[in-house]
Amino acid sequence: MIDMLFLIGLAASAFRFATPILFASLGETIGQRAGVLNVGLEGIMLVGAFMGVLGAVWTGSPWGGLALAIIGGIAMAALHGLFCLVFRVDQILSGIALIVLGTGLSGFGYRLTLGAAGTPPKAPPFPRLEISGLTDLPVIGPILFQHQPMVYLGIAMAILLAWFLRHTTWGLEIRAVGENPAAADAAGIDVNRRRWAAVLFGGAMAAAGGCYLSVSQVGGFVENMVSGRGFIAIACVVFGQWRPLRVLCAALLFGAAEAAQIRLQLIAPNVPYQLFVMMPYVVAIAALVLAARSTRLPAALGKAFVR
Amino acid sequence: MDDGLNGRRLREAGALGLVVLAGLVAAALFVMLAGKDPLATFRVMLGYALGSGNGFAEVVVRAVPLCLAGLGVAVAFRCNVFNIGADGQIVVGAILAAAAVMAVPGLPGPLALAVFLACGIAGGAIYGGIAGWLRARFGVSEIIVTIMQNYIAIQFLTWMVRGPMQEAMGMFPRSDRLPDGAMLGLMVDGTRVHWGLALALAATLIVHVAMRHSSFGFQVGVVGRNPLVARFAGIADRRVVVLAMLASGGLAGLAGAVEIAGLHHRLQDDFAPGFGLLAIAVALLARLEPLAVPFSALLFGVLHVGSGAVQREIGLPFPVVWIFEAIVIFGCLGLGAVRARTVRAAA
Amino acid sequence: MAPLLELRAITKRYPGVLANDDVGLTVDAGEVVAVLGENGAGKSTVMNIIAGLVRPDAGDILIGGRTVRPRSPRDAAAMGIGMVHQHFKLVPTMTVAENIVLGDYRAGRWLLRPGRNAARIEALLAELGLNADPATPVGDLDLGARQKVEIAKALFRDAGILILDEPTAILSRRECDQLYDIIRRLAARGVAVLLISHKLDDIFAVCDRVYVMRQGRVVGERTVAGTPRDDLVRLVVGGALELPERDGAQSAPGQALIRLRDVTLRRPGAPPALRDVTFDLHAGEVLAVAGVEGNGQAELVEALAGMLPPASGRIDHDFAGQARRPTAAALRRAGLGHVPGDRHGMAMLGDMDLRDNVMLTHFHMPGFARFGLLRRGTAAALADKVIDRFEVRTPHAATAIGRLSGGNQQKLVVGREMNHATRVLLAAHPTRGLDLRTIAFMQRQLLDHRNRGGAVLLVSSDLAEIWRVADRVMVASSGRLHGPVRIADTTIEEVGAWMTA
Repeated sequence: MIDMLFLIGLAASAFRFATPILFASLGETIGQRAGVLNVGLEGIMLVGAFMGVLGAVWTGSPWGGLALAIIGGIAMAALHGLFCLVFRVDQILSGIALIVLGTGLSGFGYRLTLGAAGTPPKAPPFPRLEISGLTDLPVIGPILFQHQPMVYLGIAMAILLAWFLRHTTWGLEIRAVGENPAAADAAGIDVNRRRWAAVLFGGAMAAAGGCYLSVSQVGGFVENMVSGRGFIAIACVVFGQWRPLRVLCAALLFGAAEAAQIRLQLIAPNVPYQLFVMMPYVVAIAALVLAARSTRLPAALGKAFVR
Repeated sequence: MDDGLNGRRLREAGALGLVVLAGLVAAALFVMLAGKDPLATFRVMLGYALGSGNGFAEVVVRAVPLCLAGLGVAVAFRCNVFNIGADGQIVVGAILAAAAVMAVPGLPGPLALAVFLACGIAGGAIYGGIAGWLRARFGVSEIIVTIMQNYIAIQFLTWMVRGPMQEAMGMFPRSDRLPDGAMLGLMVDGTRVHWGLALALAATLIVHVAMRHSSFGFQVGVVGRNPLVARFAGIADRRVVVLAMLASGGLAGLAGAVEIAGLHHRLQDDFAPGFGLLAIAVALLARLEPLAVPFSALLFGVLHVGSGAVQREIGLPFPVVWIFEAIVIFGCLGLGAVRARTVRAAA
Repeated sequence: MAPLLELRAITKRYPGVLANDDVGLTVDAGEVVAVLGENGAGKSTVMNIIAGLVRPDAGDILIGGRTVRPRSPRDAAAMGIGMVHQHFKLVPTMTVAENIVLGDYRAGRWLLRPGRNAARIEALLAELGLNADPATPVGDLDLGARQKVEIAKALFRDAGILILDEPTAILSRRECDQLYDIIRRLAARGVAVLLISHKLDDIFAVCDRVYVMRQGRVVGERTVAGTPRDDLVRLVVGGALELPERDGAQSAPGQALIRLRDVTLRRPGAPPALRDVTFDLHAGEVLAVAGVEGNGQAELVEALAGMLPPASGRIDHDFAGQARRPTAAALRRAGLGHVPGDRHGMAMLGDMDLRDNVMLTHFHMPGFARFGLLRRGTAAALADKVIDRFEVRTPHAATAIGRLSGGNQQKLVVGREMNHATRVLLAAHPTRGLDLRTIAFMQRQLLDHRNRGGAVLLVSSDLAEIWRVADRVMVASSGRLHGPVRIADTTIEEVGAWMTA
């Protein structure tokens, strides 16, 4: 039954499902614009997911969870920065190590703390923002105005980052550092310092996305719960051509795909549900092929800078 | 001239020692974080994995698919193609192999096994080849494509074992037992060590010869080091990339088929958990050298089997093994960086 | 009054080469001073030192009489030094305005306020004669316009000393004249201009004085007015200009082995390196390509070797059969050897040993592989032969080639390629970095090859070498190939003049 109710529910869910991916991909967008590739988002999101729940339980507030998650994300990203910017190893390999580490740290930490007891404690969720008047609007009310704060935060971040890249000095320098670090260096900019900032920001954002996933969407931490969203986030960056607002659209697209596959399973119970679950990943590959034609890849992406 | 070489070797050995020490200290720190005794942990881990016959047999069993998949990853990485999709290729290889022998039930023993393994190779090769072709043709990053392919393949397996390929009884998410003729028998009675071990060692030799002595392996090495030099030398670098992915995927597919044929004897859910990323760690530790891959696979087998024992006896949560593996990978990377620096300093 | 900029006894050593040896110069406010010399003369190193990119091993930099030590580009900019690089340091995806204000915090420490600087930027662009909208991405502009953006960058930072590194290398005639105008106006304003160039036209158009550099040292200083062109050419090219000994055997050029017709060469995404190239390479001749590096010689050699398809026109490899576009491997099999100018980046793999580097180009040749397996013995034997013949100094044939000195790497590459070259040898700077004895040996090899009926295309910036070895010569300059003319029909001065045209 594909009727209005269905579509409204789908659209509302799309925003929710998109949010973890959005945070991670926005962070990666900044990192890649600065020239640093981080394929370890999956590991950072896992750490963020775990530490988000841990912090929320410890402090009794979801915001405490978010804070702890961000700290964890920055720590993971610092490791990546150390190996990529100081030791100058291959950025892809460092990212792979990060995935393994993140999987281990989150599982290890979980079993030692929350998972040690029989039933894990529930994490206090983010409150839903109810803006009086707006929520009661037909159609767009439920789609846009009944979400938790982090959903709005994600959209706001996309707009903020778009503005940041175009209109601030730091944004300009980050773009320069990723396109032509030699030019930035000659202009007197400390290339590696800008890259460090971008990498750490990316880690914080990815962890925040993981935190939303666990605290809000699922309500707790489950091992390996990120299920590839970290990689879909990277596909979003490419499909969004490294522009925050387009990345937002890409993330919404994947959110919609994820929301759809759950609903399509109900509509077409005879079709194996796995085919629907595959959808976001197939969409990601298709998106990459389409994006490959016109690519605005930051020219210095993945290469270490030595004067 | 000689002095320089000895001095360099000494510095490298020193760096290796330092990195190993740092890794052990980091690992110990995590163990202590969990409130357990690091020395006891290492003792249990190594004691079971290396000290007991049963333990070591399990290590070998685990090392077989890691060796095969690790060889595949090594081939791709040598070409500078980052095949992160060994998980998917393992699964697709296994599915194709199982489907083939299920489709033609009456085949005589050795032929059935040959078909099984061949289809395993073919399935993985085709699946990996897709990513290679996308990169050669469109310039799409094989990293993301192969990772996406992993998730797609896992979903496909989940569907197969709950649907079209599910056992007749329909109770568990798995296929029926595959015909015995297509399976690998035990190599060492009393253990689970099967003839896949022989296949893995044979594959190691073949890949070594191919990479070191064949024209194709030579071209892979050139393309992996510098595509411009490859073009200068008249090598069709894009074609080599596709072929490398075919070979890499094929080896991973063989790993999947061997794991089914030797261990599980039927297709089932999640039969190779995390082998893909592990294979990358195996290949990196072996520095992409085929002859070193079996040893690297054994080490990771020790880590895994030992961690199982550690979880049972000391109560350290199993995911610590991933942390140990990450330490190994970071250690390898750090060592590579030190090596690059001493080369730069010497030049 | 102290000169605005002075260098005293600047010395800089890199491993294996003395880039700057006791270099000194002065520039006064309002003066235009040139540093003239060929590639490798050390000009770029001097400029990098002034611009704060490189630290000198010895010597002083003085600005307005005070000693300064620019430790970074930011330092240099703060001291009023503005550098216009030969290879523009611009970000192509960013706009003109963004590139100009990049790194300069007077444009806004946190927020970019385009309004605040718009007037000043527009004034600067107008002064430089750039019509483009400041919001245009730099990547959309042509080379002359991009250069103006580079200059605007320096002027935006109130540069009192402007250094231009080979500014006319990629400009058209008209753009050159515009640049000369700009330089004159800036000098009139009191800016001290230091112009690095290998082109005499630049010197005579705008410069007051000129320093000539060769092999890291300043070999002469002249006031431009009153100095004849020949004098400068002599200083640049160096040494006695008596004709060096030529090989006795007169060449009898045979059939054309490679023919080019109206060929234009460009790398993907780059402006054309060479236009309307037409010539034949004959058996039994040495055809030289003279000219300062970076004038399309690398593109020409790659095109002839089958690595770079021509953007227009046609190249016929007549010696290699009927294939329309033979691959690099097919050309090798047909008897072509290729020694590229960029040895390191193209012709060898540093971490592979000497034998494997020989196998690098031989793996598809008959005898080097059987049933898909390499016959390393064949490569090893050939490697030993090359090592012996060319006296490659190496501890062992199994040593990684990256551990050898540059000269020995060179010898191996040349030796390897000569083994391929039964018909055609493409050699770019084959004797660069070698000792005299080996240079003589190499040149002998080239001549022997010619005498056996082979063809040699020799790219060289050493005119003495060309005179010793070549039968005909072409000059790559300003996007064209002048000539070919027979060596017997021209003089070194004439060719030198073409090179510096």
